[in-house]
Amino acid sequence: MDTIYYLVLVPMIYLAFFVFSVGTIIRLINIWRKPKFPTTLQIYPEKKPSWLWTLFDTFLLNSARRHNPVLWFFLMVFHFCFLLLIIGHLELIKDFRILQIIEHEIFLGKGFIGLILSISLIFFLFRRFVSPTKDLSVPEDYYLLILLFLAVIFGSEMDWARTLYGYEEMGVEDYRGYLMSLFLLKPDISFVDAPGHSFMLVLHVFFANLFLMFFPFSKIIHSFLSLPLNKLRRG
Amino acid sequence: MEEKLREELIKLFESKLSKPMQMYLETCSRCGICTPACHAYASMPQAKYTPAYRAEVVRRIFKKYFKLQGKIAPALGAAKVLDENTLDELYEAAYSCTGCRRCMVYCPFGIDTQQIMSIAKLLLIGANAEPELLTMLADVSVSKGEGIEDMKESFMQGLKRLEDQVLEKWKMEAGEMEAGETPIPIDVEGADLLYVALAGAHSIIPAAAVFNAAGEKWTLSFFEAVNFGAFVGDPTKTKLILDRIVNEANRLKVKEVCICECGTAFRVMKQMSGSQPFEVSSITDVHAKYIREGKIKLDKSKLNLPVTYHDPCQIARNGGVIDAPRYVLQQLGADYRELSADPKYNWCCGGGGGLVAMGDETHDFRMKSAKVKADQVQQTEAKILATACENCHAQLSDISKHYNMDVEVKYLSSMVADALIQ
Amino acid sequence: MSDEINVDKVMDLKGMPCPMPIVKVSKGIKDVEVGQVIQAISTDPGSLTDFPAWARTSGNEILKTEQTEEEFVFYIKRTA
Repeated sequence: MDTIYYLVLVPMIYLAFFVFSVGTIIRLINIWRKPKFPTTLQIYPEKKPSWLWTLFDTFLLNSARRHNPVLWFFLMVFHFCFLLLIIGHLELIKDFRILQIIEHEIFLGKGFIGLILSISLIFFLFRRFVSPTKDLSVPEDYYLLILLFLAVIFGSEMDWARTLYGYEEMGVEDYRGYLMSLFLLKPDISFVDAPGHSFMLVLHVFFANLFLMFFPFSKIIHSFLSLPLNKLRRG
Repeated sequence: MEEKLREELIKLFESKLSKPMQMYLETCSRCGICTPACHAYASMPQAKYTPAYRAEVVRRIFKKYFKLQGKIAPALGAAKVLDENTLDELYEAAYSCTGCRRCMVYCPFGIDTQQIMSIAKLLLIGANAEPELLTMLADVSVSKGEGIEDMKESFMQGLKRLEDQVLEKWKMEAGEMEAGETPIPIDVEGADLLYVALAGAHSIIPAAAVFNAAGEKWTLSFFEAVNFGAFVGDPTKTKLILDRIVNEANRLKVKEVCICECGTAFRVMKQMSGSQPFEVSSITDVHAKYIREGKIKLDKSKLNLPVTYHDPCQIARNGGVIDAPRYVLQQLGADYRELSADPKYNWCCGGGGGLVAMGDETHDFRMKSAKVKADQVQQTEAKILATACENCHAQLSDISKHYNMDVEVKYLSSMVADALIQ
Repeated sequence: MSDEINVDKVMDLKGMPCPMPIVKVSKGIKDVEVGQVIQAISTDPGSLTDFPAWARTSGNEILKTEQTEEEFVFYIKRTA
């Protein structure tokens, strides 16, 4: 059991980050090296300044809002919460003064972020079982949602344990110790091997690792391509 | 399918992988927001008519041959081997898509389904499985250009027969005409404007009358505007047909190339001719300019019936000519009604992408998929349906017959010519 | 006028805008045998250039072209 814990919490994390960063960079470089398209691909009428509208389209999902408000609501909530989670995880490595401009507890949202994410993911998953979205979906779409859901639910569980029923064995400082050790290439999992919840951590990290390794080979690459594509449409 | 052919097709696929195309193929999250955008789906709700599904037909082949995911775990993305079955799917996807790009407005990423369908069309050409008719038309068009010297004679003869009809719409006094000038000038070096028409009287007569009325120094192109190469999706033929007009414009040293009412021709010329010493404009733009500058005067009392205007996709949403037709109709004194509150959401007529040129073969699909268009027109209660594209005009005429609509389909340029005040 | 040419099929393409006349003829020619002749009547002036170009690319032969006040008449022999 200890070996499995170690494998997931140390080598697999390194592997996941390696695959994620190298894979993503190679994929983006591959796109970058393709020839330019000789003419415009924009949609009219155009609105100026086009870069501002591009940002609007990309980050506020303007077209989704207009054509599928319910889905838009969940998409906005999901992506925003995901951003907060990234911030939360960064703060689990160390204190970032800049992130504490608005003072908050580490892991914002008192456990609600995870809950909202889980609900959104269930919504995304369920709508893929209904036509016409069902007819469009391929296995990748389901797997990604399930992977994310599992990563989120086990991750949230650790947070809920702290906030909801006063579990204090593994706290922010322990995670910091562990993550910092990974970061400094002197891995030490003794910070996070407390009984009970380390099991959750291992599951959380395991699914998150899988997700990260899948990332560069999947449609999640849209997180990088949405902006340039929206710019093409705005001209 | 033979391995050799497959390899050739994959090479063809690769030739289409520009930066945007690669991104279009990588990005779709199959969220389905585009689903209601397609007129074919809105008229006949079947999954195969949703834009994302169409694009996925191409994307599955992309995954198989160009993506690591498709090579390692093809089942994940439902990657597909390129074979006879896939070709059938490509045909169905590409030739039930009119390339109107309405779905691109819906997509949160702005994925261009028309671009993705251009891969499908090219693969079909490579496998000799494209619609024969469209290739025939493209070949005829290319051949006409090659044999232009032999055909000049018969072309001029054909034009002579139209002159009287031009004069009927706009009388040119003998004094007004300089030596050698005719109602339909052709091959005039140093003219200001080269008008590229279609090989049909309806595209030449009204336009000529308006040019003459405005005192434009114009000349008619030997070539027809329509680009059948673009319909069938053959980049080489598209360029051949485009280049000869560009060359003619440069040879005659014109300042402006004006494209007749043909959506494809306008978009191809405007966006694909590259940097040239001339401007490219649509005939609607030119008419609006004449009115604004007072070069022509229109009788505002002629249109007694409510009018609506169908924005041809390639001219409006994809070409940017949106205000000019509205201004022209206003100057015609029309009781004008919009089809769509925001023109970029206008429904496609259902005839683009070569479907109309394929005639009876596609008639059934064109009529069924245009149900939403028919409803949209009828809701305006307009009695005149104006448009500025040959394809749209043909399709809208078919629709109005099929759905027993009480509406007359008219070319905007003809309406201008009919309202000219001497 | 058609005394010299034996017509096997007549196609009335009057009133059709370009490119429908050649679309129709390219289909119609398949209904006659190689060596037989179609008489196609069109009113569109574009036909004057369309038909010869079509004949060249499809490998068929235009035996004769007649013009009346209103119409263009083409005699096309199927050779391919």
